[in-house]
Amino acid sequence: MDIETLKAKLEEEKYVCDDQLVTTLLVALKLGRPLLIEGAAGVGKTEVAKVMAAALDRDLVRLQCYEGLDESKALYEWNYQKQLLSIQVQMNRRDPDELTKSLFSDEYLLERPLLQSIRSEKPVVLLIDEIDKADEEFEAFLLELLSEMQVTIPEVGVVKAASIPFVVLTSNRTRPLSEALRRRCAYLYIQYPDLNKEVAIIRAKVPNVNEHLAVQVAQAIHALRDSEAILKKPSIAETLDWVAALEALGVSDLTPEAARQTMGFVLKSSDDLDAAAPLLTGQGNGCGCGCGHDHGGEGCGHHHHHGQ
Amino acid sequence: MSETVYIEKMAEFSQRLRQEGLAVGLQETADVCRLLSDLELTDRVYVRAALSALFAKSREEQAVFDRVFEGFFVSRERREALRRQQEAEAQEIARKRAEAERELQFEGQPIELREDLKDVYVTMEDDKKEYLRQLLEKTKVNAQRSPKLYGSFIKSVFMRFLLEQQMVMEDAAVGAEEADPDLALLYRDISRFRDADIPRAAALISAIARQLDAELSRQRQGRGHSGQLDFRRTIRKGLETGGSFYRLAYRRKRRRRKKLVLLCDVSGSMLQFSEFALRFIKSMSEVSESSAAFLFSEELRRVDPFALQNMDAFRDYVRSSGLYGRGTDLGTALEALCAWKPAALGPGTTLLILSDTKTVDLPRAARQLLEAKRQAGKVLWLNPIPAGKWPYVRSIQTMSMLCQMVPCSTLDELARTCRKLLSN
Repeated sequence: MDIETLKAKLEEEKYVCDDQLVTTLLVALKLGRPLLIEGAAGVGKTEVAKVMAAALDRDLVRLQCYEGLDESKALYEWNYQKQLLSIQVQMNRRDPDELTKSLFSDEYLLERPLLQSIRSEKPVVLLIDEIDKADEEFEAFLLELLSEMQVTIPEVGVVKAASIPFVVLTSNRTRPLSEALRRRCAYLYIQYPDLNKEVAIIRAKVPNVNEHLAVQVAQAIHALRDSEAILKKPSIAETLDWVAALEALGVSDLTPEAARQTMGFVLKSSDDLDAAAPLLTGQGNGCGCGCGHDHGGEGCGHHHHHGQ
Repeated sequence: MSETVYIEKMAEFSQRLRQEGLAVGLQETADVCRLLSDLELTDRVYVRAALSALFAKSREEQAVFDRVFEGFFVSRERREALRRQQEAEAQEIARKRAEAERELQFEGQPIELREDLKDVYVTMEDDKKEYLRQLLEKTKVNAQRSPKLYGSFIKSVFMRFLLEQQMVMEDAAVGAEEADPDLALLYRDISRFRDADIPRAAALISAIARQLDAELSRQRQGRGHSGQLDFRRTIRKGLETGGSFYRLAYRRKRRRRKKLVLLCDVSGSMLQFSEFALRFIKSMSEVSESSAAFLFSEELRRVDPFALQNMDAFRDYVRSSGLYGRGTDLGTALEALCAWKPAALGPGTTLLILSDTKTVDLPRAARQLLEAKRQAGKVLWLNPIPAGKWPYVRSIQTMSMLCQMVPCSTLDELARTCRKLLSN
């Protein structure tokens, strides 16, 4: 596969990407290296794994990390209840040594996402989401899997990967990840998209969207992200939700009133909503359309139809 | 380009990255070589993205990578142009240095200055140089009467002025601003934050405090149990597995929150730093409710916890308390703190002093610091003056001999200090 092919496949999945992103994905894919993606919340890190699964025609296996996640939830667990039942049922029927041995076989093994991804005959995309939320011990445990593509189960031995999964790790940078983990991965930092890219994403994800509205929403979202008063910056998913909500309401022009009514799709805290109010009403530097840009008192002209 | 040249170039590039502090291993270099030939990447954008993915493993490292890449992979014409530009610049600097050597003279003798300060003089703006020239001119008559006395005076004035200029230049040279404003804010001198930076800095502080909290909570979890079996929880857990004690539960160690006493200088230039430092420390959940904060300039006030809820409330509080805009008397403040009823300091407390050490009556302040040290379990001084300037400030030299002092001129240093303080 080359860059152009991968790019075309991603575009087929309606994923708008730049050259850097495609190159990094291809590098990770070619070298069989895990890909660590960092960036602010809502820039589309998780989406990369989903789209890669669709583009490569692979299953997506997802492991959502959280504080306290351990091997039993991530790798495997013995089906204890089934083992107890087996012991009780077969206690007098079988040779005890054979019974003990049979208790640690595939029949009693509950595969969790990590084991599932490496035992799969067909290669999968493994998404280890929000690794920064997991404990450092778990991060250390991942090292064997990521570098050797194998895991050790004490009762069974070393389980080597039947196929090499494409591993995507995402992090919101709530804590620094270890150097050892970083060294084993290819790295990508995703920023919020620029205006053109945001418009392209809206076009790709919301079919038949009003062109004029898409531009207005993208501009307004950028103004909100640029505003220092807004603490939780709107994500791409929120942009799409907003467009969908406006379309559902039959809005074709983003007036201050329409923006105010639907702002709850974009900003999710009362502080941010209060801070956005002056931008919507045209106080400060805003033009009154929600885009917040300073147009030097001449209006923005090219994309608004105030009063119409 | 032949394969050998590829490998040599990449090895050289890896070496440059290592010199800049990036942990680039042989594996990465080998992977890059393999990749470039396999994919036949020739477009600069693609090559850059591929190299960046493998060599730079964080946002910070990407900034370093970009700089090294720009300097390393240049076209022949561009390299030639750069060489000519560098030569011209080197000649210009040599000319200015010679000029500076002529100007930095007092009574026909060169003023003894460090080489780096002479470089500061060379790159300084003309109006600043003019100020120093006029100073020499004004003192000329007196200097002829008493050359020795005025010689050391001129030297100290020049040194202080050039040090200040050096600090300004270093702040202006924080290069990450365009790439990542948050990153730049993290490493910028707190006292030089602009009004527009304050909301961003406040959000950054909250983010770092959350990050530190999460880190510390994980460290605590890793510390394990106290060694005592918790019978009740073990039996309860055993019920889930048919009465067999499959997993044993242990008692956890009781965690004591740190009790901090914060003593903050809010006189004039220290206000901004104290504001940020207080906000930072108080936003950490590790800091217990029983911790206390005191503000001082010429006198001491215990701060109302409500005043620490946000920046505006804090500023209003400081201004209405009458502490703002007055001088600094650390001796009086420490004396009042030691005599505070009920006692603020005790063997289990850590006294954190946020001050630049500039105070009236330094000997008395030093005596009172020793008394505070005797009363408190531990004293730690957070100093907003960068460590590089400490050798030139007498009060810092005195105070740093009496207690542990750490430089905290940036949010990054502040975060590192808090991490160290609370994880011990």
